[in-house]
Amino acid sequence: MAVSAQPRSAQRTSLWGWLLAVPSGWMAAFFVSSIVIVVLLSFGRTTNDGFPAFATSTANYRALWNEVYLELFVRSFLYALAAVVISVLIAYPVAYTIARHGGRYKNALVAAIVVPFFASYLIRMYAWKALLSDDGAVNSGLRSSGLSDGVTFLNTPWAVIGGLVYGYVVFMILPIYASLERLDLSLIEAGKDLYHGPVRTFFSVTVPATRPALFGGVLLVFLPAFGDFVTAQLLGGASTYMIGNLVQQQFMEGQNWPLGSAMTVALMVALAVLMVVYLRATSTQARES
Amino acid sequence: MPRKLERKPRIAVVVTAVFFVWLYLPIVAVVLFSFNDKKSLSSFSGFSLMWYDDLVHNGALLDSLMASVKIATIATLVSLVLGTMLALGLDRVRSRKTQVTLGAVTLLPLVTPEIVTGVAALLLFTGIGLKLSMTTVILAEITFSIAYVTVIVRGRLLGVAHEVEEAARDLGCTHFQALRLVLLPTLAPALVGAGLLVFALVFDDFVLAFFTTGVDPQPLPVRVYSSIRFGVSPAINAIGTLMLLASALLIVTALLLPRLFGRGSSSLDLITTGEPL
Amino acid sequence: MSNTSSTTPSVSLRGLTKVFGGSTVVDGLDLDIASGEFFALLGPSGCGKTTTLRMIAGFSDPTSGTILVGGEDVTSTPPHRRDVNTVFQSYALFEHLDVRGNVGFGLRRKGIDKRTRDKRVSEMLDLVELGDRGKERPSRLSGGQRQRVALARALINEPKVLLLDEPLAALDLKLRHAMQAELKAIQREVGITFLFVTHDQDEALSMSDRVAIMNQGVIEQCGTPEDVYERPTSVFAAGFIGTSNLMSGTWSQGCVRLSPTVAVPAPGHQGSAEGDAVSVAVRPEKIWLSDLTSAMFRVPGTIVSTVYHGATTQYLVSITPDLTLTVLEQNLPRMRAEDRWNAGDRVEIGWLPEHTVVLT
Repeated sequence: MAVSAQPRSAQRTSLWGWLLAVPSGWMAAFFVSSIVIVVLLSFGRTTNDGFPAFATSTANYRALWNEVYLELFVRSFLYALAAVVISVLIAYPVAYTIARHGGRYKNALVAAIVVPFFASYLIRMYAWKALLSDDGAVNSGLRSSGLSDGVTFLNTPWAVIGGLVYGYVVFMILPIYASLERLDLSLIEAGKDLYHGPVRTFFSVTVPATRPALFGGVLLVFLPAFGDFVTAQLLGGASTYMIGNLVQQQFMEGQNWPLGSAMTVALMVALAVLMVVYLRATSTQARES
Repeated sequence: MPRKLERKPRIAVVVTAVFFVWLYLPIVAVVLFSFNDKKSLSSFSGFSLMWYDDLVHNGALLDSLMASVKIATIATLVSLVLGTMLALGLDRVRSRKTQVTLGAVTLLPLVTPEIVTGVAALLLFTGIGLKLSMTTVILAEITFSIAYVTVIVRGRLLGVAHEVEEAARDLGCTHFQALRLVLLPTLAPALVGAGLLVFALVFDDFVLAFFTTGVDPQPLPVRVYSSIRFGVSPAINAIGTLMLLASALLIVTALLLPRLFGRGSSSLDLITTGEPL
Repeated sequence: MSNTSSTTPSVSLRGLTKVFGGSTVVDGLDLDIASGEFFALLGPSGCGKTTTLRMIAGFSDPTSGTILVGGEDVTSTPPHRRDVNTVFQSYALFEHLDVRGNVGFGLRRKGIDKRTRDKRVSEMLDLVELGDRGKERPSRLSGGQRQRVALARALINEPKVLLLDEPLAALDLKLRHAMQAELKAIQREVGITFLFVTHDQDEALSMSDRVAIMNQGVIEQCGTPEDVYERPTSVFAAGFIGTSNLMSGTWSQGCVRLSPTVAVPAPGHQGSAEGDAVSVAVRPEKIWLSDLTSAMFRVPGTIVSTVYHGATTQYLVSITPDLTLTVLEQNLPRMRAEDRWNAGDRVEIGWLPEHTVVLT
């Protein structure tokens, strides 16, 4: 029988355990606990001096249950949904073109898409605001070419949706590109023979083959879009408010932190529910196919 | 029949071309107008460096720039260490349950809208009585960045067989030596790539910084935001151009780095070969 | 350091057992591998051979049992202190070092000075014929070259035993044959004990001095390639190595009765009582279709099918409605197609009694 001072498997676990402990500790301390505090404060109230305090009141949630706020939720959902749909419509052609016709420049083209997206979201949104404003370049171009007297771009739902797409479409393009790239594109060519039409080929061959990527992309675009506030604030106005704007208001100008916490929790719950529903729906689809 | 089939690709190509134009339009505009010799944002009248000159003399803006650089540097270094530890730990931990749970928790910051993490961070710091300052921004950014590092390093780890570490031990290394002499050097390209990526992300980050910053100095994106809110100034174009340039350089370097070392797949391949979803 | 004579086995396993999540992967192995031997652990996937190898290397802790290397008990010694080196299936080369850096890694860990190190690295690279590739990175090498680097990296440390985990699995067929010969030559030159694990019986037979056939955690048979091929001692061994005609019957009066009409004499067999169920194995190439002698066991049959394989032809011969034997014949005596048999032909087949293997 072998005799040892300390079984080596125990040594191994303690090393890896320590390795995990420190970063896990950090995440627990800063991330998990912060979320917990949000949830706790959502049941809180504001003291007479105007300071947020913990309590056990559901007043904030009851306050949320009214037309105005619910409308905001619905609007955010619709904007995010629109952003997703448009992103899909853009992502497939772009990904397909690069995968199929990119040749040697494939990686350069992908980089050309990726680099702007990691380079200052804020600046690019600001640029759109400047370009699309009533005296911005686009409008002056329209006026000088006589095409129109000037179109109000900003402060409209489409400006916000466009901004959302602009900000997040890359998260739809990348997975779909990766998936298309790995796909044997002759499959699509063969499909074209079989299905006698580009549209039918698309739905019967391309989409099923890239389904996981598509589902991933949908999540990656929808989630941040739903909670966005920068785009709505810069490119939109009061009529295009999203949940994000409202939350930001509570914490910055309105100074109603408990209410803001409740909104944040509502946002998180909404997202979680939507995600669960989505995952359920897509997995049954996958099973059925 | 064959001619009809060729039409579909052309639509796709057109869409792609339009997309690229649309993608780069604001960027071109910002850069272009940063050299404009007039205040106008609708027409370019002449070449001038006056806005850049303005920048250099704008103390507050320069302070913010320094602050952002400091924040990004510290956040990058700390999240690199923590993220690598997490990636290694997750890769080797025995218990499947721990691996999955911890893996999910690590990824949560990536799928949570920044406004939620921003609010949460704000509440946490206020709750424990920590005054908002550069420190709180750094702490929040680290928490958010760990996830990126972990994903990238884990991706690279998957390509490196466990056997490499065993080979090191077989040849005379203790666990720690194997880590230091073999594993970390092999991970080096991923670490550098992740570091550059995180730096760019943190440097540019707005939402999280917005909620956790103190009064002074404010990180650059926050200050830019304030300027934008209260009037559109061409000086923004100048700082914007510089920010875009800096980020672009960082990202391109991060993407190309491993390839320069001739080590095969780069971070770009990592991104394009799909994420762990 | 114990006094290791050349008769001390390089590796000794005593009752080596590994239980993994409720199942016994390695079950009480007893094995001695002599110094300087080229030894193969052969078996199908999941038989426990790789687990055994890993335990000898030190990457897996045995549940019970002892491992001795060069006479020393290393069961609880960590891998970096065992006098054992491994060539991994994936080669596991260090991508951040060049070839010389990889090969010299073990020596560096031991603290050997640079001049000696450089000299020995050069010697090793010459041995594996990579002398001109010293400064290159592993990523630039072909599969075969990477394997040689892995080999050199392990051998340079002059371990008591070199472990090889399916070393040729990743190479294409032609390269594999070439490497088999090379490995054998290198082993003879350096004289180090090689213990390699494989599922390819062809490889095991052609390279090793001795083979141990493993199945479900136990060693079914251990012997020279010839022993194992000509005299399998279990049904598994007979079926795993090469092809065999396996037939079951009853032991009766010195013969194995396969059917009312067929009884195969097995004069050498002992240990079975009248009426016991036994199996008979005969290799296809041992069966004759012509030039039968009186010493052979003969039985008439009908050709069911023939398959031409260029150098050989494979016939399926039915001797009873339930028994069909595979017969493999070299085409030399019957080079012309018309000389070979066709389906439906009535033939007589036979084989020598010493080629009848009885398995219980």
